[in-house]
Amino acid sequence: MMAALHTTNRAMFWRIIRRLFGANRGRLFVMLLALGAGATVTAALLNLQVDAKNRLTTEFRVFGANVLLVPRDSGAPQGQAALDEAILNQVPRHWEGGTVRAVPFLYYVGTVRRMVRQFNPPEHVVLVGTHLDELGGLAPGWKFAPTGPISLEPRLNRCILGTRVASKLQSTPRDNLELFILPGSEAVPAGKDKSYPGDFGTIAGVVTTGGPEDDQVFTELDALQKLATKELGAPPGRVSVIQVSVPGSPGAVKRFINEVSAKLPQVEVRGVRQFTEGEAKIYNRISGLLTATVGIVLLLTALCVMAAMTNVAMERKMDVGLMKAIGGSVRRVLRLFLVESALLGLAGGAIGAAVGIFLSIGLGKAVFGVAARPRLIVYPVAVALTILVAIISAYPLRRLAAIRPASVFRGEA
Amino acid sequence: MFLRIVADSFGRRPRHKLLTGAALALGMGVATAALSVSLDVGDRLAKEFRSLGANLLVTPQADSLPLEIGGVDYRPVNAGAYLPEADLPKLKTIFWHNNIVAFAPELQFSVQTARWDSSTRELKERDQNSFIGTWVNHRLALEDGSAYSTGIDKTNGWWKVDGRWFDETKRECVVGSKAAARLHLHIGDEISANVPDPSRMVQLYTSFVVTGILYTGAEEDEAIVTSLSRAQDVSRLGRQYRKLYVSALTKPEDAFAKRDVKSFTPAEYDRWFCTPYISSIAFQIQQELPGTDVRVIRRVAEGEGQILTRVQMLLWLVTGAALLAAALAVGASAAASVIERRTEIGLMKALGAGSGTVGFLLAAEQLLLAFVGGGVGYALGILLARLLGEKIFGVAPEPSLIVFLVVVALATGVTILGSALPLRRASRYEPAPILRGE
Repeated sequence: MMAALHTTNRAMFWRIIRRLFGANRGRLFVMLLALGAGATVTAALLNLQVDAKNRLTTEFRVFGANVLLVPRDSGAPQGQAALDEAILNQVPRHWEGGTVRAVPFLYYVGTVRRMVRQFNPPEHVVLVGTHLDELGGLAPGWKFAPTGPISLEPRLNRCILGTRVASKLQSTPRDNLELFILPGSEAVPAGKDKSYPGDFGTIAGVVTTGGPEDDQVFTELDALQKLATKELGAPPGRVSVIQVSVPGSPGAVKRFINEVSAKLPQVEVRGVRQFTEGEAKIYNRISGLLTATVGIVLLLTALCVMAAMTNVAMERKMDVGLMKAIGGSVRRVLRLFLVESALLGLAGGAIGAAVGIFLSIGLGKAVFGVAARPRLIVYPVAVALTILVAIISAYPLRRLAAIRPASVFRGEA
Repeated sequence: MFLRIVADSFGRRPRHKLLTGAALALGMGVATAALSVSLDVGDRLAKEFRSLGANLLVTPQADSLPLEIGGVDYRPVNAGAYLPEADLPKLKTIFWHNNIVAFAPELQFSVQTARWDSSTRELKERDQNSFIGTWVNHRLALEDGSAYSTGIDKTNGWWKVDGRWFDETKRECVVGSKAAARLHLHIGDEISANVPDPSRMVQLYTSFVVTGILYTGAEEDEAIVTSLSRAQDVSRLGRQYRKLYVSALTKPEDAFAKRDVKSFTPAEYDRWFCTPYISSIAFQIQQELPGTDVRVIRRVAEGEGQILTRVQMLLWLVTGAALLAAALAVGASAAASVIERRTEIGLMKALGAGSGTVGFLLAAEQLLLAFVGGGVGYALGILLARLLGEKIFGVAPEPSLIVFLVVVALATGVTILGSALPLRRASRYEPAPILRGE
C-alpha cells in the first residue's frame, strides 16, 4: 500500500514537472536562453584559454632558437669547431608534446667570388655550413626569397646568400660562386687573392634577417666540412654550434636545458637569455591577463544568468500559491522547483557547452590559424557549472514558502 | 501622469527593478572592463616586448661586410667604416622620437690585454680579447636643451651585472662571465688593454678597474665591456662607433605596411609615415643619420608583431564573449520583466491606453533602467579594469570616453531589443482575458 502510494507520488511529481515546462513556453525559452548562453560562453572561453596558452608557447618559436649547444671551451672559434656532429642525434626531438628543432652550424671566415667572365674581386664573408632546408623551420622570422631554397640539381652545391652579400656581389639566384676558406683566425688579409681552388656553389636563394646572417653565405654542412678538411686539415664531422628551438612554457625550456646538460657533459648547453627571459616575462603577462579576463567574464556571466533566472522565478507566486492551497508541503514544492531548475540547467548546459566548444574550435582557427583542440574535460565542467548556477538562481524561491495562498489568489501580493 | 506611472512602477516593485538593474550593471561592468583592457593591452604588451631587446640595427652604409663569428668581428680595426657619435642626438628628433625607447651605440674590436702583478709590477699574463665600448646609463644632451638617459642596460634588459656597471667618467669596465673565468678576474682587479700599434716601439696600455661581472647568455660573456669613449681612446678611432641598436615601440605590420614604399600614392605615403610601423621608423632614422643602413632585426620585430596581433585578437574575442553574455542576460531579464507585467498592461488597456502608449511607457522604464544600470556598470567596470591593469602590468588603463559611450549605447540597445519582442506581444493582448486571470 505504502509502496503504491510512493509510486503514485513519484509519478505525480514528474507529471507536475512536465506540466511546468509545458505551461509557459515563453518563460522556458528565456530561461534556456540565459543558461545556454552562459554555458556557451563558459565552454568556449575555457577551451580557448587552455588551448591559447599552449599555442602561445609555440608562437614564441617565431623568435627562433632559444637554446645553444656550444663546445665547453670555445676560446677561439675559427678553425677550432670542436663540437662533434654526432651530438645532434642525441638532442631529444620531442619535448613535452612539442617538436624540438636542432640545426648545426659551422663557421669559417672565407671569400666568395661570382663566376662571371670579367674578373670580380673576391668578397670577404663568413661561410656558414648548415642544413639549408631546416633553416626556415628553425627561424620563421627570417625572410627567404624565393620562399624556401629552390631545388637545384643534387650534385650542385647549394648556397643561400645573406641579403647584403647578395647586393654586394650583385648576384641573382642560379649564379655560380667560388668559395674559399681563409686560414687563421686573425686579421684577414685585405684584397689578397688565393691561388688554390676552393669549392663551387650555386645560389639557391637570398635570406634577410636584419642580423649578422645578412653578411653570411650559407652552404650545406657536409660541403663546408669537406672543404675545411681539404684546405685546413680540420677533423671531419665537426660543427661550431648547434642551435635548438625548444617549444613549451619557460619551465619546459629550463627542464630541457637541465636534461640535455646532464646527458651531454662535454657540451655547454645555454639558453639564449635574450629570448628565454623575455619570453618568460611576456608569457606570464599574457597568461595572467587571459586567466584574469576569462575568470571575471565567467564569474559575471554566472551572475548575469542568475539575475535573469531569479527575475523569472519571482513570477511563480501563483503556482506556489496554488500548490500550497491544495495541500503541498513547502519542502515538496521547493523540491519541485529545484528539480525543474536543475533539469533546465542540464538542458541549457548540454546544448550551450557543445555549441561553445564548437565555437572555440572556429575561434582558435581565427586567432592562431590552427583549430583549437577540443578538450573533453571542458564539457562536463561547463555543464556542471551551468547546473550549479541554475540551482543557485532558484534559491530565492525559498522565500516563496512564506506566501499565503489566499492573498495570492486575491491578487494582493 | 506619464512620469508618475514610471515613478510608481519603480517605487512599487523596487526588488524587481533592482534585480533587472543589477543584471544590467553587472553585464555592462564586464563589458567595460573587457573593453578597457582590450583597448589598452596593445600598448602595454608592446612595451613588454621591448624586453626582447633592440628591433633596429644601424650600421654604416659603406661598410665592408662584417666578418662576425660568435660576436667577434674578424676585420682589423682600421678596416670598414664607422659612424660619428655626434649625430646620435638626432635620433630623438625624428617624427616618432617618443616611440624610441632606448638606443646604444657599440664599438667592438680585438685588444691585447695584460695584467701586471700589483706588488712587483711584473707582467703576469697577456691575452687576446674581444673589447666592447658602449653606453650605460648615458646622459645625452638633446638639441632642445633637455637630457635623455639611455644605454645598453635599457636596450638589453636581460644583461645582468654582478657588482655594478662601470662609471662612464672613470676608467672602469665590466667583464663577461666567461672571460672573467678564463682570465681569473674578480671585481676590483685591474686589467690593461691595448690595440697593438706596429709603428711604435713601446705599446701604451690603458688600465681598467673591473667593477662587475656581466652575464648575457650570448657572445658578450666572452668580452670586456667599457664605456664608448674609453673604448674609442683605446682603439685610437676618434668619436665613432660601428653599430647602433635601437629599441622602438612599433605597431605590428599589417598588409598595408608590407607593401613597397615606392608604390604608395602621396596620401598613402603620409599615412605610412605617420604610423609607427617599424619600416617607417627605420626610414626616418635613415634620413636623420646619413650614410647609414637601418635594418629591421626580423627575429625580434617579426615575432613581436605576430604574437601581439594574436594576443590582441584573443582578447577581442574574450571581450566579444563578454559582450554577448552580458547582452543575452540583460535581454533575458528585460524580456522577463515585460512578461510578468501582463496584468498591468491589461489594466492600462482596459482603462483606454493605446498599444503605442503602453509600449512607450514600458520602453521608457526600461531605458531609464538601462541608463542607470549602464552607468553603475561602467563605474564598476572601470574599477575592475584598474584592478586588472595594476595586477598584470602595474599600470592602470586610462578611463576612456569611447568605452563609456559604447557601454551606454550597448545597454540601451540590448534592453530595447530584449523588451521589443515581449512588448509587441504585450501590445496585442486583449485586456479582458488577462484581467480575468486566464
